[in-house]
Amino acid sequence: MSSIVISGDTSGAVTLTVPATAGTNTVTIPASTGTVMVSSNMPAFSAYQNSGQSISASTFTKITCNTKEWDTNSNYDNATNYRFTPTVAGYYQVNGVIGFTSSVRTNSVAAIYKNGSIYKTLSQIDANFYIVGGSSSVYLNGSTDYIEFYVFTNVSGTTSTGTDKTSFSATLIRSA
Amino acid sequence: MYDKIMALYPSLTEQDFLTVITLQNDSDGKGDYIAKWEHPTLAQPTAEQLK
Repeated sequence: MSSIVISGDTSGAVTLTVPATAGTNTVTIPASTGTVMVSSNMPAFSAYQNSGQSISASTFTKITCNTKEWDTNSNYDNATNYRFTPTVAGYYQVNGVIGFTSSVRTNSVAAIYKNGSIYKTLSQIDANFYIVGGSSSVYLNGSTDYIEFYVFTNVSGTTSTGTDKTSFSATLIRSA
Repeated sequence: MYDKIMALYPSLTEQDFLTVITLQNDSDGKGDYIAKWEHPTLAQPTAEQLK
């Protein structure tokens, strides 16, 4: 395996390594200015609920997804604030789903909060469904910006749990 | 919180709680609270009224 090491002016280094496999491969660097994204600077997380959460009627309530499926950059707080505060600035695809244990409600809204305020209403249902959710993209500055997931429903109830029910996730899709 | 507000103002609708009034719970153990009250005619309930 051959490598090229580029040392920084004062410290640090970047190593470019070619795999020791047959064939010729080409990587084209675009004629543009930007940051090359690699797996370690592309935060992504996914979390779900493993215990039901009580939701008051007509009250935007933060969803407490307390079990991580993955959190590549340790940016999701699954214990206290249930928020994602990525350390890389960029545009993130955000997804959220809330399941309920009953379908008696007739009006539910899922919403992404950014820095404590509603950023996007993902979806609103006006019928007897068990599930509400959706997705959106959001710019996060990589330091102070954070997102959380809330739900509003017209009848109090309990969320349903499991990886396929109440969950929250986000992935960097483009750096700043 | 919602039930107490509805007892005070039975004329409020679901839509009011999606537009001019926001009740919120940040799942931090502090419970429900009024995050926004912009109803054009009804005054925001006092803490005493919500006890």
